[in-house]
Amino acid sequence: MNMSNPMIESTEIPEINYESVKRKQRIRTFAKGMLFLLPSLLLFGVFLFYPLFKTLYLSFFLTNARGETTVFVGLQNYLGMFASPIFHQSMKSTFLFVLYTVPTTIIIALFLAVLANEKLKGIGFFRTIFTSTMGISVAAASVFWLYLFHPSIGFINGILEMIGMESIGWLTDPKWALIAVAVTTIWMNLGFTFLVLLGGLQSIDSYLYESADIDGASYFYKLRRITIPMLSPTLFFVITVTIINAFQTFGQIDILTQGGPQNTTNLIVYSIYREAFTNYQFGTASAQAIVLFVIILIMTIIQFKLGERKVHYQ
Amino acid sequence: MRKHFLTSFMMLLLVVFLAACSSNESSSGETEVEAESSDTKEKQVVTFWHSMGGAGQEALNSIVESFNSSQDEIQVNAEYQGEYDESLTKFNAVAGTDSAPSMIQTFEIGTKSMINSGQITPIQEFIDADGYDMSGLEENIVNYYSLDGTFYSMPFNSSTPVMYYNKEAFEAAGLDPEAPPATFEEIIEANKAIVESNPDMKGFALQAYGWLWEQLLANQGALLLNNDNGRTGTPTEIGWTEEEGKSIFNWVKQMVDDGTFANYGTNGDNMMAGFLAGDVAMFLQSSASSRDVIDNAPFEVGIAYLPHPEDKERQGVVIGGASLWMIDGKPEEEQKAAWEFMKYLQTPEVQAEWHVGTGYFAINPAAYEEQTVKDAYAEKPQLQVTVNQLQDTKASYATQGALMDMLPEGRKIMETALEKVYNGGEVDEAYNTAVEQFNAAIEQANAARGE
Repeated sequence: MNMSNPMIESTEIPEINYESVKRKQRIRTFAKGMLFLLPSLLLFGVFLFYPLFKTLYLSFFLTNARGETTVFVGLQNYLGMFASPIFHQSMKSTFLFVLYTVPTTIIIALFLAVLANEKLKGIGFFRTIFTSTMGISVAAASVFWLYLFHPSIGFINGILEMIGMESIGWLTDPKWALIAVAVTTIWMNLGFTFLVLLGGLQSIDSYLYESADIDGASYFYKLRRITIPMLSPTLFFVITVTIINAFQTFGQIDILTQGGPQNTTNLIVYSIYREAFTNYQFGTASAQAIVLFVIILIMTIIQFKLGERKVHYQ
Repeated sequence: MRKHFLTSFMMLLLVVFLAACSSNESSSGETEVEAESSDTKEKQVVTFWHSMGGAGQEALNSIVESFNSSQDEIQVNAEYQGEYDESLTKFNAVAGTDSAPSMIQTFEIGTKSMINSGQITPIQEFIDADGYDMSGLEENIVNYYSLDGTFYSMPFNSSTPVMYYNKEAFEAAGLDPEAPPATFEEIIEANKAIVESNPDMKGFALQAYGWLWEQLLANQGALLLNNDNGRTGTPTEIGWTEEEGKSIFNWVKQMVDDGTFANYGTNGDNMMAGFLAGDVAMFLQSSASSRDVIDNAPFEVGIAYLPHPEDKERQGVVIGGASLWMIDGKPEEEQKAAWEFMKYLQTPEVQAEWHVGTGYFAINPAAYEEQTVKDAYAEKPQLQVTVNQLQDTKASYATQGALMDMLPEGRKIMETALEKVYNGGEVDEAYNTAVEQFNAAIEQANAARGE
């Protein structure tokens, strides 16, 4: 008995220890990992997840002016929103706006970047000029364009009149207002997009061009076969960022048109702002915010699914 | 782990919260230091949030300065917080905390939502405690701001809409610059003469601005909301009739069709710039801009009453502008100090300076007897029009103005509808959509209050 007991214990104990040590270790590594993640988890929790869930929560309620919930209405805010012509207009304008700004910004910026990538004397000057809009705040740029677009004393209408054309109510005509805001936005985003694309161009290895030169490839052939494919990760990044930015446009709208005329420039973020802070309907505003979130989520997923297939990573 | 996560989450919230608090403390600490260094010790600080930009801000700052130097117990810190609705949004965010101001200036249509917010002390309490006499104030203002005989806020800056016109353009068009058109129909005719004499100039501009829409309704004696503009009960729908509402739309439509209408959308600054540049001969705007317009125009500016339809008698205008609110939950000393400042603002001398410096009218009629006002009238007789228009106003529910917390939203709806007509849309469609949305907004606001 005396002999067997320690034997049994000694065979059993290591096994139990082994299991629990393993578990302990797993917990310890997990805790360590969480410790490293903690700062970002906390930040995400406080600044992203908490507001997200709060928004979702608010979207099921009516609120008073201070944003405190008063009546639970279930999906009423969503149903009302999808039935509202103002919201339809706002969605339509938002998608049109994305369509106007994203391709144009990228094409112009790419064109400028290709130009500025040439090794010429004084090219630094042009690079500075092309990136300069990055240093201008949304508010300053908008005010500047507000004066350019002024119906009677504005510079653009002045030119139109000089060449004998009718002046245009850039910010007051529903046919033109969205275009005017899009032009402003393209101009403002150009600097950033240009800079990122130029960076992408400069990181392409020169040996590729050297071998192509030896083979006698033409300029456009090199552009099509080397530059664009090698640039695709950067392009992909720029497209994603520009689309998200376009969906979230706010400052220009607030200063240039305040969502007018006839809600044609009432882009979704501005519409959210107006619902929440002019109408004090935090419930409907939250419902719209959730819709915006879902749209951007879907767009991003599609982009990654489609884009990644086409993107060439080194 | 989840528990861990939760507690750490709470900890972080706490940290953020503490950080926010401490930054507040430090900022209020600074103001105290400022107050101490400026003169003797222990001055009571009053934080005053206002929304006066431009000429108004200059005038207000000089008033605050002279109040601060006139005595050594109270230090008023005037802080510009953006437009009324921006400032109201900020206030709603800080209400009930230490960062809330002692007093805040809010526009007239915010009256109901301020009362409903439960964050204010009705100034009636101070009036009663102090035995202050409000009857010296302009009658129409008393009408607007007293609800069932109780004052919730102290009226301060009040204006009315007026019609500005270019006298030189009138002369060039063969119109009498001293007899401006008074009705919608007369304006249509005057427009034609102006455009004929100068094809580069449009006749009339109406900013798509919900406030002007409300005023044009009131001038016909029409109500904005039912239940007597919300004065005898909570409104449940719009108060104007189809005829009254459409008269404004049809008037605008006629001018648009004539090609005499200048469309500046919702942008009042553009409209003013257009007027000053001689692109349009007449426009409607608050009398608060009169000092700016008169001083900056390279031609002689006339100011006239707000127009009305020919078949309706002029009823007058609703008080526009803003009043001052006492914030609840502040130490008694601070509230008393704020009350002292409010009383100071009502004195004839201060009101005279304010009236002349901005174009807001004096809410204390005694101010018109002050020498500063008399001098200004001699030099700029137009300033007097705004005062006359107010005093000619007939007291009724229509000209008392509407009370409801959805009014800012209602304004946006009417602005959109007006813009539709400006851009060639049909009156019926624009009008009907607007009415539908306006009623829906009233319903929603009532539902949100849980009533």
